[in-house]
Amino acid sequence: MIDTPALRMAWLNLWRNRLRTGLATLGVVIGVVAIAAIGITGTAIQVGATQQLGDLSNTVTVFPGEDNTDGVITDSNVNAIERAAAGATVVPQRSEAMTVSSRSESRRVTVEATSNPAALYTAAEGTIPSPMRSGVLLSQSMATDLGVSLGQTVSVDGRSYRVVAILEPSGGFGPGGVSVVLPLDAIDRDGYDQVTVVAEDGEDAQRLAAVIPEEVNQREEVVDTFTPADIQQSISGFFATLNAALLGVGSISLVVAGVSILNVMLMSVVERRAEIGVFRAVGIRRREVMRMIVAEAALLGVVGGLVGVALSLVIGYTVNAQLLGSPMLVFAPRNIQFLALGFGFAVLASTLSGIYPAWKASTANPVEVLRG
Amino acid sequence: MTDRDAADGAGPAAADPPVSRPVAELDDVTKQYRSGDEVIDALDHVDFAVEPGEMVAVIGPSGSGKSTLLNVLGLLDVPTSGTVYLDGDDVTDYDDEQRTMARRRTIGFVFQSFHLVPMLTATENVLVPTMFVRGNQRARAEDLLRRMGLGDRLDHRPDQLSGGQRQRVAIARALINEPRLVLADEPTGNLDQDTGRRILEEFERISTERDVGVVAVTHDDLVTEFTDRTVELIDGVVQ
Repeated sequence: MIDTPALRMAWLNLWRNRLRTGLATLGVVIGVVAIAAIGITGTAIQVGATQQLGDLSNTVTVFPGEDNTDGVITDSNVNAIERAAAGATVVPQRSEAMTVSSRSESRRVTVEATSNPAALYTAAEGTIPSPMRSGVLLSQSMATDLGVSLGQTVSVDGRSYRVVAILEPSGGFGPGGVSVVLPLDAIDRDGYDQVTVVAEDGEDAQRLAAVIPEEVNQREEVVDTFTPADIQQSISGFFATLNAALLGVGSISLVVAGVSILNVMLMSVVERRAEIGVFRAVGIRRREVMRMIVAEAALLGVVGGLVGVALSLVIGYTVNAQLLGSPMLVFAPRNIQFLALGFGFAVLASTLSGIYPAWKASTANPVEVLRG
Repeated sequence: MTDRDAADGAGPAAADPPVSRPVAELDDVTKQYRSGDEVIDALDHVDFAVEPGEMVAVIGPSGSGKSTLLNVLGLLDVPTSGTVYLDGDDVTDYDDEQRTMARRRTIGFVFQSFHLVPMLTATENVLVPTMFVRGNQRARAEDLLRRMGLGDRLDHRPDQLSGGQRQRVAIARALINEPRLVLADEPTGNLDQDTGRRILEEFERISTERDVGVVAVTHDDLVTEFTDRTVELIDGVVQ
């Protein structure tokens, strides 16, 4: 309430020089758009990239560690992993190079053996038995190579298995590269080559990737872990860095806008010297003059900031519609943060730019000013 | 005029203290300016006083120190030596803030070129000195303008007013804070003879009706017709 007169004078003074005000505001608008629109676009790209990685990122692969001389994960290790990963699905796996052949073709590939493939793979054709005690799962490309289809039999190292499911190709990283899956007993030896833990989500996966070695390893590194969630986090980190760099560029443009406001305000203060001198003469205090001029600069920031936020919303709406197909994502909390950041920085830079001209105006000697 | 004579008579005798106390007083005031190696005495040991209800003209050639006298009286400038009293208080050593507040309370200014704010209406221009003061003075401002004969110009902006009307707005602005002292710098300088005369009648009315001391710096002979007293300054010395 106290600053109503200062704000009103500020508004009138800005209105008096509409063109100049408009140009100074344009600088602020560009700055805000640079910060907010770039931030929002960055978020959209990141969300898009994360969507591509998809559901793989919730698995943790446990494999023998450096100090594991036997190179296998024992049953007691698996028990420890199950203790550590309570609630998550634990899938021990063995793998070995074997010869897979149909009547016409033969391939030597790494075969995987597990009792619970349903937790890891989805079937394109047929069904994955759970638990799996018989049969074989083939990847689509392996089935094509061998020239077999669902229900036919293939032989693996001389033993015959019926094809019970063809696997859906899974993109990205992780256990998708498998071509032949057998029941666990098919590779008959002690221990496992790796254990896959299916966690609830990426965050849980990262937690388990840290917790499991702590639980299993006593003094020696018997097991180590890997999770695509880590990759996802690196990708997030990369985008965060990229965004920070772009925001830096945006901030610079707002600083430039601030400098142009400083320039405009200095000019306008010099032009209004006589008027300010009269204000001082009729008993308006230095700080009141300062408040008027700072309010003017701040108002430039607020107006430019609002226009910039509106423009950024339009841009963000379009980008989210194009990239992700859901334009309303522009109102995600993170984007609101970018908008608030752009707006806040605009007001801050403008207000700071107003301080020096305001100080100059308020300390001018009214006598000299009125003489002119 | 007869009232004034009586007041003048009572002053030196100090028989009637409430009347004799000047609203503003300069006691042995010197103001020096440095111009290169030279030191110029804009005011040279000047004694000057304005009584309430008195209207004084200060005349002199340009460069005689008239404006400096007005600036020192109006607390816009500080003397090099000597003492300045406002309403009986020694204000010589006031800082900028105190001087500004004293101006706000006690002094009204009228300038030669009016110095109205172009984008404000007549009423808003009158309200400028009260801008940062609590309380709504709009009714008072409109009343002042009506009494200046500007009742039909309340919402006009300066560019829609004639010179005389602008100066009357400026006078109303000088009066909004009920000053004890009105200082006018060439108040008729930008006006024709007839308009100037009406403005001076306005000053005369203010001075007698409101018991305000008026000091007008001028080199317009017309002004001296209306004032109670004329002080001539030459080279910073009261003649």
